[in-house]
Formats: sequence, structure tokens, C-alpha cells
Amino acid sequence: MALLQLVDFHYYYGNIHSVKGIDLHVDEGEMVTLIGANGSGKTTTLQTISGLTRARGVRGKILFKGQEIQGKTGDKVAAMGILQALEGRHVFSKLTVEENLKTGAYLRKDMAKIREDIRDVYRRFPRLEERRSQLAGTLSGGEQQMLAIGRALMGRPKLLLLDEPSMGLAPLIVKEIFVAINDINREGTTILFVEQNSKIALATAKRGYVMQTGSIVIHDTCENLMNNEDIKRIYLGAS
Amino acid sequence: MFLRLLISGLVLGGIYSLIALGYSLIYKASGLMSFVQGDVMTLGAYLGLTFYRILGLPFVVSLILTVLCAFAFGMLLEKGVIRVLLNKNVLPIYVVLATIAISYIIQNGVQLGWGSITQYFPSVFSKSSVKVLSVSVQPEALLCVGASLVCMVLLHFFMTRTRFGTAMRAAAMDPTAAYSCGINVSMSTGITWGLSAGLAAIAGMLIGPMYGVYALLGSMIGSKGFSGAVIGGYGNMYGAMVGGILLGLAEVFVTGYISSTYKNLIAYILLITFLFLKPTGLFNERAIQDD
Ligand SMILES: Nc1ncnc2c1ncn2[C@@H]1O[C@H](COP(=O)(O)OP(=O)(O)OP(=O)(O)O)[C@@H](O)[C@H]1O
Ligand SMILES: [Mg+2]
Repeated sequence: MALLQLVDFHYYYGNIHSVKGIDLHVDEGEMVTLIGANGSGKTTTLQTISGLTRARGVRGKILFKGQEIQGKTGDKVAAMGILQALEGRHVFSKLTVEENLKTGAYLRKDMAKIREDIRDVYRRFPRLEERRSQLAGTLSGGEQQMLAIGRALMGRPKLLLLDEPSMGLAPLIVKEIFVAINDINREGTTILFVEQNSKIALATAKRGYVMQTGSIVIHDTCENLMNNEDIKRIYLGAS
Repeated sequence: MFLRLLISGLVLGGIYSLIALGYSLIYKASGLMSFVQGDVMTLGAYLGLTFYRILGLPFVVSLILTVLCAFAFGMLLEKGVIRVLLNKNVLPIYVVLATIAISYIIQNGVQLGWGSITQYFPSVFSKSSVKVLSVSVQPEALLCVGASLVCMVLLHFFMTRTRFGTAMRAAAMDPTAAYSCGINVSMSTGITWGLSAGLAAIAGMLIGPMYGVYALLGSMIGSKGFSGAVIGGYGNMYGAMVGGILLGLAEVFVTGYISSTYKNLIAYILLITFLFLKPTGLFNERAIQDD
């Protein structure tokens, strides 16, 4: 049984049919990517999985460990272990780095383990430790992305969702962040991430879905996708 | 003269601060202005009067019961009116208009319940005056200053040092991100409205013994508390505290040294001056729309 499964999933913003019946699954331990052009519905899909869009716009099923979760509010979904680093990072700008991390552990009561996990985030992203008492709004874009991922990790995700971790960042930082994402997956966390940077996405994940104006047009292993002529032409910018 | 004015300024300022805090907390959590703050203060004064004078309960017990009732009222207001309207996708201004309607409903409701003549609130202490340095003051005035300061300090610790307070601030800063961390933002917003009502009710119970209790008690104080919130930086918790106290002091000193003609004018002159010259208030809260 897949850890996450979308079955004929649609999303409507009022009359606008933004996601038009997609099927997608992520198995335990996997790292899967969802790529596609601007406005194809990637963020809508991730945010709806997390219960962050209006429930009345959802049609179809979202199954987590076989249980239907569509229509649940964001806090309930987070409590089930689906945590997301949002598109645009969304750090709490007037809380310090450490307060942001603690807020990521809001649902947990195991204080000792929380402290251990904060140290773990600092080990993964040493720059955050240097800035632990700095207000998150004053961090650089790359540091904010690290904090957004760190904050999601603080909830001990069973499924980690990442929405455009490379957005607006310099190549060197993008590389650093993807090394961390790879490590997080190798250490056992299941990941589904959305990317505009198809090259690095396909090089990092094992399987990929390609979305176009609300539908999934291809899904395959990343290896096959990288060698697919259409994908090369449209998404990888090859000549 | 100076010391006497200072104490009355702090009494009034403490009350304005408690009201201003409600405006700012609600604005931060919901992005809305609630016009009911002053009238919740009135309601608090009437509830306090009922528990303390009519039912004969001890003052502290009456205070606690009043705060609990007001908290429930604020939360119900958010859940039963504000949230319902927001879910209909109405423009925010309509929600603000609804709070004005509720403000009038409270003003008229308390007259139905408690009559239209000013009610007398029995004094809290057996002594009618105490000496502070060389000035004799009403002990209720000192209680008012002390209790409002304690409320502010407690609020500060709650918001910055507790897990739930931090979560409430996070929810106000970025509701989507807060939900994604597992915070029940809808609950947290409701609690913010409850807390704001609770603070206003405390103000009502502190001022009742000095001013008497009547239906329009909170209407002027409410609009001055609003001015205090703007002066401090609308939406900023510390701004509301400082803005309210400064406004109370300004009002009393202008009345004492210049003329009582300006007593009620000074708050609104300061309000419009700040809106023009320093809309971000003393604490530099964001006031200009980004393009
Ligand atoms: N709140 C909203 N109200 C109405 N339409 C929306 C809303 N949010 C997104 N849409 C529309 O839904 C479609 C999908 O948007 P979405 O943000 O999911 O795309 P995306 O694939 O994440 O794009 P990008 O790569 O630019 O982030 C777009 O056509 C967008 O205009
Ligand atoms: Mg997107």
C-alpha cells in the first residue's frame, strides 16, 4: 500500500478548475518529484494534501496510509505526520530561528527529544545555529529555505512535502539544499517535492510526475524522464 | 499637583492600554478592527457589579468570573459572528460594520438588563483614601494602576515565553504556515478575541468603582483606547501598552496645566497627528501598503 495516494483528484478555486483529475502515489521511503510549468497546479496539489486550501474545492480522494484525509484542516493533517515546507518559505518573520523551530514541534510534548531534534537541524544546517537568536525575517533566502525545511522536520514527518526549495536561490545554495534533501531521504523520510528546476529535480528523485495545466501528462522513473525527448526539449532546455 | 496628576494619568492610561491591547491583538490576528472593545468594558463593569454588589461575592472572585464571562463572549463573537461572515467571503469592511452593530446592541442591551440610571459600584477597600508621599488618593486608583500593569506584564510573558503564546503570535503572523505546523489557527484567533474581551472587562471592573457604571461608560473610553493603539503603532502589543499610558498622561496633564476644555480633544488631536506624521506609531508597526 502506498503511503500517499491521490485518486482522481481535482481542485476548484470557485469556478476555476485548477487540477483536473490526477492520480499519484508515493511509497514509503521514496523520493518523488512533481515538475511542470508555472500555473500547472503543483502548489495547489501540495497545499491541498496538507489541508491548506479550502475544503469545498476538493473532489476525489487523498489517501494517507489508506485513510481518506481530503477535507481535513491543516492542523489535523500535520498531526498525522504530513509536514510541508511551503512555496515562498513562509518562515515566521518576527520569531527567532529557534522559535521557528520550536513552533515546528508545536504538536509534540517530548521536550528532551525536541531539543535533540533542534541540534539535529543545526547539524544539518550549521548556518542556522550561528543565527539561532536572529529574527527569521532578516535571514537570507537560502537560510530561510533551510529554516523552512528544518521547521518541517521538527514535526517528525512521515511524509515531507517541499514546494520549490530552489526558488530564487543561487546555484551554489540550491546544490547545498538538495544535498540536504537527499540526506533526509536516505535517513528514512519519505519525500514528495515540487520543482521548477527540472534538471536538479530529476537528478535527485527516483520517480517523477510531469504536470501540465492541471493534468499529469507523463509519469516515469527520473532516469527515463531525463532521456525522454519531449521532456528534454520542454523542461531541460536541451537543443 | 504633579504627583496627583501623575497618578490620575496612570489610572486613565492603564485603562486605555487594556482597551488598546484588544484593538491591536484583534487586528494582528484577524486583520480587522473590532468596535466592541469599549462596550465589552461596559459589559465587564456591569457583570462585575452583579457579582460583587448584587451577589455579594468577594472582589477577586467577581473579577475572575467577569473575565471568564467576557472571554466566552469574545470567543463566541468571533466564532458565531465574525467567522460566519468571513466564511461567506464578505469584504472585511462588512465585518467591521457588524462589530459596530454589536456595539450598539451591547449599549442598549445593558440598559434593558440593568436599567438606564448610573449604578453605583461599592468601594473595594474599607479605607476611602491612602497617602502616597504627601498626596491622598483613592485606594481603587492604586489598584487600577497596579492591576493593569500586572495584566500587561503577564500578557508579555504569556505571548513570548509560553508555547501557546508563541503559537498565537505565529498564527497571527502567517496563518497558512501556522496551520502547516499543526496550530489550530481558527481556535487561536477565537482565543485572541476572548483575551481581548477579557482585558476590556478587567478595565471595566477597575474603573467601575471610580466612575460608576452606565451604558455609555465604554463608548468614549473605547475610542480613546483606539487612539492609544494607533499612537503606539496599530497592531503592536507593546505599542498599545505605551500608547495607552502616554495618552492617559497627556490627557490629565493637559487638563491640569492648560485647560479642561481640551480633555477629550487631546486624544483625537494626537490620533490625527500620528496618522499624518507617523502612521507607524511609536513602535514602527507597518502602516504603508507595499505595492
Ligand atoms: N487562490 C487562488 N484563486 C484562484 N486561482 C488560483 C489560486 N491559486 C492558484 N490559482 C490558479 O490555479 C492554477 C494553479 O496554480 P498553482 O499555484 O497550483 O500552480 P503551480 O504549478 O504551483 O505554479 P508555479 O510553478 O508558478 O508555482 C493557476 O492557474 C492559478 O492561477
Ligand atoms: Mg507553485
